Amino acid sequence: MAASDNSKKPVHIRPQEQFDFFHDERVRSIFYQILTVAAVGLAGWYLVSNTAQNLEARGMQTGFGFLNVAAGFDSYFKLIPNEAGVGTYGRIFIIGILNTLYVSFLAIIFSTILGFFIGVLRLSKNWLVSKVALAYVEIFRNTPFLIQVIFWYIGVFSLLPKVRNSIDLSAGAELLLLNNRGLYMPWPVPGKLFWLTGVALIIAILAVVILRRWAKKRQDKTGQIFSTFIPSAAFLIFLPGTVYLMTGMPLGWDLPQLEGFNFVGGATLPPSFVTLLVALSIYHASYTAEMVRAGILSVNKGQYDAAHSIGLRGGRVMSLVIIPQAMPAIVPPMISNWMSTIKNSSLAIAIGYPDLVSLFMQTSLNQAGYAIELVGMTMAFYMFISLLISWLLNIYNKRVQLVER
Amino acid sequence: MATIKTVTTPAIAAPLAETSVLGWMRKNLFSSVFNTLLTFFTLYIIYMAVKGLWVWGIADAVWIAENRRECFAISTDGACWAGIIAWLDNIFYGRYPREELWRINLGLFLLFIWMVPLWLPRVKAKISIGMTTVFLYPFLGGYLFAGSAKGIFMQIMLTVAIVCLVANTMHSIIGLFSGRSLPEFLSSLAGRKKLSDKTQRNIFLGFLALIFLLVYVWQMSWSLERVPWTKWGGLFLTLVIAGIGIASALPGGIILALGRRSRMPVIRVLSTAFIELFRSVPIITVLFMATTMFPLFMPQGFVLNKLVQVIIAVCLFNAAYMAETVRGGLQTIPKGQFEGAHTIGLGYWQTMGLIVMPQALKHMIPNIVGNFISLLKDTTLVSIIGLFDVLGMLRSISKDLPWLGLHKEPLVFGAILFFLICFTMSKYSRHLEAKLSTDHHN
Repeated sequence: MAASDNSKKPVHIRPQEQFDFFHDERVRSIFYQILTVAAVGLAGWYLVSNTAQNLEARGMQTGFGFLNVAAGFDSYFKLIPNEAGVGTYGRIFIIGILNTLYVSFLAIIFSTILGFFIGVLRLSKNWLVSKVALAYVEIFRNTPFLIQVIFWYIGVFSLLPKVRNSIDLSAGAELLLLNNRGLYMPWPVPGKLFWLTGVALIIAILAVVILRRWAKKRQDKTGQIFSTFIPSAAFLIFLPGTVYLMTGMPLGWDLPQLEGFNFVGGATLPPSFVTLLVALSIYHASYTAEMVRAGILSVNKGQYDAAHSIGLRGGRVMSLVIIPQAMPAIVPPMISNWMSTIKNSSLAIAIGYPDLVSLFMQTSLNQAGYAIELVGMTMAFYMFISLLISWLLNIYNKRVQLVER
Repeated sequence: MATIKTVTTPAIAAPLAETSVLGWMRKNLFSSVFNTLLTFFTLYIIYMAVKGLWVWGIADAVWIAENRRECFAISTDGACWAGIIAWLDNIFYGRYPREELWRINLGLFLLFIWMVPLWLPRVKAKISIGMTTVFLYPFLGGYLFAGSAKGIFMQIMLTVAIVCLVANTMHSIIGLFSGRSLPEFLSSLAGRKKLSDKTQRNIFLGFLALIFLLVYVWQMSWSLERVPWTKWGGLFLTLVIAGIGIASALPGGIILALGRRSRMPVIRVLSTAFIELFRSVPIITVLFMATTMFPLFMPQGFVLNKLVQVIIAVCLFNAAYMAETVRGGLQTIPKGQFEGAHTIGLGYWQTMGLIVMPQALKHMIPNIVGNFISLLKDTTLVSIIGLFDVLGMLRSISKDLPWLGLHKEPLVFGAILFFLICFTMSKYSRHLEAKLSTDHHN
């Protein structure tokens, strides 16, 4: 009967749960991992034991005790005071880090500004201008950075005039002076009540931030745009300005003065610093320019048309529609470009600027030995910076993703 | 009466203002007052720059002189190219013995011969040609450059390399004329009727064995004089370091990238640690590490020369960078490709080798070339730790007595040299990218 056919229980075919030791993926995976650990461990042990033997045979000392030992040399450029024979190797390490960060920080700012400028020129509707920007990018990207650094140093900055014939970059005011001993500039000397101006500036910045938030909220709610530019500028200029005037202008300037054969007073940047700053800025600007260009081009053309069609004008199309969409494409490569700026500042060694590598990996290593510790500490510094930067990048990426929805 | 026009009116040409040179200029250079000003300003800047370079580099430059003093006597504000010309051999070959220069030239020529078939459209089996270049050419080139007496291993490898070169070349010539491969051609010589694959292969192997014997006997009759690595230098040394760097970085990078994407945690962690370590530090610190720490790593009594230290450092460094390039390429492959490969029953290595890598490599080409360009540029750093690569040679011109203090010209020459190499490569990679692209959207 048909009914009995239907009532028949369906037959389940179960896959055979057979455990085949030699053809199981999990077993194999564990086996390979054990094999890798064993190979790496063996290689590591081999290197470590060789190193230990070599260190003993050569009578070399190890350990980080040397960091408290006074170094027999000093850096000619430093941001914290130090003295040869007194300052320790630990202090030399700090000086090196500060020197590296100082020149990289300034180079990052200049190269980003210059890079944005060149990137915009690249997109210019004027054919000639865009080709000149292209030539800039291609020339600086396709020649080794080391050759560029040495060229700026030997070909430009060591050909500068002597102190007596300094080049005046401030057009006769004798404020910014460039000669073969470096760049001389005035340095501010804050007076007694100057901190009040600083406080006023911070209050002004806070006020601007609050104002902008309020304006944005209002725009989201009502759709009305409140232009924050003029009020912000007013806050930023008038508040600190008034306080500065009321406290009796407590800021003096230490000017470079020609005394005997050299300038005295003000601040000095050695030629090697200026060279490295210029070379880094120009080289990395060529990379930034391409990133900016690619980022802006990555925004769909329809976005321009749509923005124009709802009645936005040129400047607002860029600031409200194009740039916000281009930023996610520009920022990540730009941050890794900043990282390579910090890494490339290590070529300071070729022109004698005392950065971390030159002070610690070269001079200290020649003076004190301790190769493993010195190399390890230097590399650890760069790795720390790199981890810090990729952490920042992750935060940025997460925020951008949230906005994207 | 209705008039019907039977002849199609010819299209009127676009207005002259749109198509002519003048029209183009009006649109691209003088579209507004601001643009016109900008154009003239840019023209002025270009004029000043070109004029300065022209006067310094060509018009007032000195090409023939015995020393720098003579240069100054002829012209004080022009470049002294005579110094570069006098040092040209050194810049290209370093201090390699002058009577042995033919070995470098021959080595580079053979590399060229070896690789040319890769660009010939009708030649088959390009993958094996490429693989033999990477794995066998180093023996041939290495022996030509370094020389010295041959051990039994070197004899065999050298013979294998030469056999391979001969077979490659014959294969390419035959392929170029008839579109056939070498085994096919050999079996067609043996008889008229179509032979089975197995017989074809046997004939081919027999042929290879025959040349092997001949070459082996021939190579026993000569040997090359030893040229120590300290004599290597100039552009030649730069190319050797960069060449080994890139050839080892690609396989190393692929392994590291696969390791980083592996599902096995130990392998993933180790690969990631290696990649991140080498990517986060400047290359100069890796080079310093190589010269100061590698000697400590070696067993006692075993001395690693500086060139080998540098090459190992460059390889490690570049493998890490290449790994990220490869990983980027792998990420462009949609998940469906992996799943599809699994569905038809392919294992891990088959999936990677047959399905994923061929597609991913295509996406990677511009970045791989980019890597090679930055490797070539970074190779100049070996001059800091005392190798006489092209930059080391260029910088020693200013220390040579007749040319004392000649700094600027060598650097400009070096910059032009690198620019030509790097710019050509980057343009070629763009071309290749466009050619290999199978995407139809634009």
